[in-house]
Amino acid sequence: MAKVEFRHVAKRFGEVEVIPDLNLTIEDGEFVALLGPSGCGKSTSLFILAGIYQPSGGELLFDGRVVNEVEARDRNVSIVFQSYALYPHMTVRDNVLFPLRFKRMPREEARTRVAAAANLVQVTELLDRRPNELSGGQQQRVALARALVKEPQLLLLDEPLSNLDATLRLTMRTEIKTLQKKLGVTTVLVTHDQIEATTMADRIICLRAGRIEQIGPPDDLYRRPQSLFIAGFIGSPPINMISGQAENGTVQVGPVTLPYEGVSGAITIGLRPEHLTFTGAGLSGRVAQLEPMGREILYVVDTDAGYLRVLEHGSVAAHAVGEPVRIGFSPDDALVFDAASQRLLAAARVGPPT
Amino acid sequence: MTTPLTFTGVNFGLATPLDWDGMAARARALRRTKAVALYAFLISVSLPIILPYFWLVTIAFSARTGVADTLVLWRSMAVLVPAVIAFWLAAILARDRRQLWLGLTAIALIAALAFALLVGPELHLRNFIFLVEPDFASVVRSRVGAVRGAIQFPSVWRAFGNSLLIAGSQTVIVLTVASLAAYYLSRFQFPGRAAMLRSLLVLHAFPVLTLIVPMFLMLYWIGLLDTLFGVILALVAFELPFAIFIMKGFFNAVPWDIEMSALTDGASRRQAFLRVVLPQVRNGLLAVAVFTFIRGWEEYIFVFTFLIRNTNWTMSLYMYYVRDDVMGVDYGVVSAVGVFYLVPSLILYLVAQRYLMQMSIGGVKG
Repeated sequence: MAKVEFRHVAKRFGEVEVIPDLNLTIEDGEFVALLGPSGCGKSTSLFILAGIYQPSGGELLFDGRVVNEVEARDRNVSIVFQSYALYPHMTVRDNVLFPLRFKRMPREEARTRVAAAANLVQVTELLDRRPNELSGGQQQRVALARALVKEPQLLLLDEPLSNLDATLRLTMRTEIKTLQKKLGVTTVLVTHDQIEATTMADRIICLRAGRIEQIGPPDDLYRRPQSLFIAGFIGSPPINMISGQAENGTVQVGPVTLPYEGVSGAITIGLRPEHLTFTGAGLSGRVAQLEPMGREILYVVDTDAGYLRVLEHGSVAAHAVGEPVRIGFSPDDALVFDAASQRLLAAARVGPPT
Repeated sequence: MTTPLTFTGVNFGLATPLDWDGMAARARALRRTKAVALYAFLISVSLPIILPYFWLVTIAFSARTGVADTLVLWRSMAVLVPAVIAFWLAAILARDRRQLWLGLTAIALIAALAFALLVGPELHLRNFIFLVEPDFASVVRSRVGAVRGAIQFPSVWRAFGNSLLIAGSQTVIVLTVASLAAYYLSRFQFPGRAAMLRSLLVLHAFPVLTLIVPMFLMLYWIGLLDTLFGVILALVAFELPFAIFIMKGFFNAVPWDIEMSALTDGASRRQAFLRVVLPQVRNGLLAVAVFTFIRGWEEYIFVFTFLIRNTNWTMSLYMYYVRDDVMGVDYGVVSAVGVFYLVPSLILYLVAQRYLMQMSIGGVKG
């Protein structure tokens, strides 16, 4: 188990600067997610952690010791790849045994460890098969067993769930989380899938173009996103964004005027679909589309302030397409961002039209 | 069965109802005719290709010293051609799989019987005398009375061994160098990589004969003229570019993830290459090995130019001198040597067929 620290870590590939300056501390036993769109530098960070890439600048520390130049094989770090990267020419047993082959370990102990790792992820009965005879979920488990068998001080997960079907994804994410808590291994999950990050990690590090956009527990990123980027990136169905002009205690959004408290200027209002409700007063509009999602129904409403997504609980639609409706929301739920800097204006408040 | 075709109440002007059964019958007949024509074409084209091999074997086992008799060839053809046509007819006429197998078996049996009756009495093994008698040329000549001036042949096994040595060591060297070079080309960026890839192909474009004179001089000065090792080096140089190119295609197909996984699992770069990457390209290695081996086995130009002593003869040279010496007298022996020369590469192809098929999967894109 290890505490990991990035100190001014940079990575360049030729002319391209993928990570300009990364500063980050991951506590011992913590489960963090590196979240961001593709090309944001999350996989590069992962490979720097694994020792496959050397940082171009700065220092990477494990438990306070600089490991920049320590070889991948000496770091005692494991990766579970998106493709699982099982060795196709070996049986599952040999796959799981592979990391132990490079340690001077008595055969008996190696065998015990393989059995224990296989038992941990319930692949004991698959040990004599080949990877191509396994289903996606089974391959995933084997990859986990192989990663855990050498008792790594750091476990890296590279989009571990994205190749699984929806049901399996649900099971595996519970299992991985439980396993991580049970073993207490410091774990870094890399993903572009916000659900994967929010459901599994203790802390999310949101990256954008190689820089940290925000760090915090999942609910923090969801409820108080510090920037428009995070507000848009986290949450499904996505947040509604309304552009307006604020001055003298009001915001002008198209033809609508909303009560407002805060600095003047161009702002963007963020409203989560589930925070919008159908009420007697508020923004008026017509239901343009209905999307039943089982437990919830997503309404797309054509309002004076543009199209808004409204999420209502229940499985029976209360409003039909074309029906005139009014939409309200609580000023506590509305997020206000500065349109120019795209940062959250924490003190600003906006309410529905009265 | 037939109904007027209407679509959402609109009649498309098809006054007469459609005759589905008739159309199906016509389509069936057309398919069958096409298949018949195709097979007829394929058979007529492939017969001239297959016949020389068939005749080579027939002559090797039937020709007699000093007798220029082609009757046996016509007889064997009289069995082969009707048999092929009968196979074709059986394939067309058979109504199901069982009938087909029955028909094919019957034809094969009849053909075998006819062959045994018509050609069987002519068959003998005397043409393979060279396997046991190094001075077979004198023996063969003495059968027709002209003993003078026969070439001193080494034992055929010596030539066989030389060929094996050349083809084998060439294969080992090419495999080792090509897999290392191809791996490096596939995985690493270095200055001049693109130029190197291009030049690999250009190298392969050179006709071997154009370089014969400079290579002769080079081997002479190095002192490797008339040595097997000199020929092996020359062959390796010519075979490497293409082998590297093929192997690079196979290495490109091995995902990076697997290698990175091996590295984090504690393997060194070399261990990852040997234990994880190399087993993934096994089919490529086998394919390159087979082609390289056969290339060395059939090598003629280099050995003809660079080897002089008859103890250094390879099978191709041996065959050449046999043809030179006894062709006029006994083409049976020449054919027998040919069959003997052919067998190893034939066996190799049959064994490795499965892997050669995979070549296209590995791909050769740059």
